[in-house]
Amino acid sequence: MSSGDPQQTGKARMAAMTALWTIIALVYLFPYTWMVLTAFRQPVDTLAMRFVFTPTLDGFRTIFIDSNFQLYLQNSLLTAIPTTILVLLLAAPAAYSLAHLNKRSKLFLGSVLVARMVPGIAILIPLYLAASRAGLLDRRMTLIVVYCAFNLPFAVWLLRGFFREIPNELREAAIVDGCSEFQVFWKIMVPLVGGGLVATSVFVFIGAWNEFLFALALTQSNAATAPLAVIGFRNEYGVQWGAIGAAAVMISTPVVAFAVVMQKYLVRGLTMGAVKG
Amino acid sequence: MNVSASARRQRRNALFFLAPAACVLILIYLGPMLFALRASFTAWIFTSPGSENIYVGLENYSDVLTSPELWSAVQVTLIYAFASICCGLTLGTIFALLLDTQFYARSFFRSIMIIPMVITPSVIGIFWKLLYEEDSGVFNTALRGLGLPGFSWLDLAMALPSIILMDVWQTTPFFMLVILAGLQALDRNTVDAAKVDGATALQLFRYITLPHLVPYMLIATSFRAIAAMGDFDKIWLLTGGGPGDKTTTITIFAYKTGFSAFDIGRTTTIACIFVVIVLVASSPLLIRLFRSALEDRG
Repeated sequence: MSSGDPQQTGKARMAAMTALWTIIALVYLFPYTWMVLTAFRQPVDTLAMRFVFTPTLDGFRTIFIDSNFQLYLQNSLLTAIPTTILVLLLAAPAAYSLAHLNKRSKLFLGSVLVARMVPGIAILIPLYLAASRAGLLDRRMTLIVVYCAFNLPFAVWLLRGFFREIPNELREAAIVDGCSEFQVFWKIMVPLVGGGLVATSVFVFIGAWNEFLFALALTQSNAATAPLAVIGFRNEYGVQWGAIGAAAVMISTPVVAFAVVMQKYLVRGLTMGAVKG
Repeated sequence: MNVSASARRQRRNALFFLAPAACVLILIYLGPMLFALRASFTAWIFTSPGSENIYVGLENYSDVLTSPELWSAVQVTLIYAFASICCGLTLGTIFALLLDTQFYARSFFRSIMIIPMVITPSVIGIFWKLLYEEDSGVFNTALRGLGLPGFSWLDLAMALPSIILMDVWQTTPFFMLVILAGLQALDRNTVDAAKVDGATALQLFRYITLPHLVPYMLIATSFRAIAAMGDFDKIWLLTGGGPGDKTTTITIFAYKTGFSAFDIGRTTTIACIFVVIVLVASSPLLIRLFRSALEDRG
């Protein structure tokens, strides 16, 4: 490669790298590709591992007509969206306070960190008992409150990093000009951390949409969310691969599309939350 | 304006802004955890009323701590987390280094590589069954196509490696993204200077890139460790904790004790022990984060 036009070698190298990445992506994403193919295949074609087949929508027909899949999807949406909004409403003021008003609030900061490490199963049993006593099992509201609390520590931590990037002088100047603390927060700070709010909502939405353990324990038929729906297609008539594939595609496509579109924010949140502490 | 009055007002405002989040955390975290702590000292069986008031002292703890099931679950959890992180970190670093070069459609490849990271874990758990199926499974068919023998992916010996493989597949993009962000924050001048001084690619990686990446790797590893220790959905749907208890993690062990045996006393005991394990394991991270947060005064 030492001889010849350097631009030419650069191009050859780029083409080779692109070819390598094509192979990596094809191999690595094979389980995902296979899942999508399964959704559009007859079970016979799935079991025979055919790549070429006549596409069918039977799997989708099974989940939407023979089973009540739309209810699960609806529950998922009506759980994940309110959770995201509620988390932002609760986390943003707390994060602002930690970043600008009371920077050394050790107790709250410590609790947020510890709460973030606590595994879900530790609070599941008490919450299950409380919900069952209060007659709140199988309600979307219960899931929303629990998801909200579960995502709060991470959201506070993440948003605190974003608020911290705004110079405190801005706040002080506004206070001198006669703004109240709430006005500073709502009219100056919140618009400036727009990107942080989007990044946080990406994580909270994906987390709430994908959650399984709490949904499994706290819901039955009314409030069950989409991640639970896949279980049903395994028991009734053996394994219905077409239906499982179709359900898998319907459940994962919203988060996959969301994550790809919001990728910039996803990366921002990961590095903010993960690297800057 | 009186300085101390304004400082007092600021403190009051600070509490006012924190209060709603604090209330939710107390109600949904602290409350249940104290409740679990209390329940762990009782002989509470969900199906027998009145048993919640029978205090047995530390009996649950001595039972659970001497039961082989707990130690098996602890072992499975630690092996699962450790192996998955080692593989995910290595593979993620390789992917990040390969992405941090110039080639066509780079952002497209980066976008599609993050797909496994966000797919609903329960979907992965169910679907990997199709891949692992012994007779007609995708992996075995592919292996046989290459003239190799197939595996019994979910038998006693292979089940744990198989759930680790599934987790590595899902979490590698996370390591890739964090390490890629680290690579992009690397000072190009240092790299160029080293190149001018005649450093080989390997030396460049060993003495410049790798030391720069270490903090990124450590933080990504810590966060994955916490998440991996609490994993439930994928494993539950792929193996249900079996065969035997070969893939029963602490969370699955606690879930089974709670929701099939309805033994609240024992379940809350397992949960309390688990919280201690996780907090001890994550204490280096906790202390680091706490310190860096306090040092920084804006």
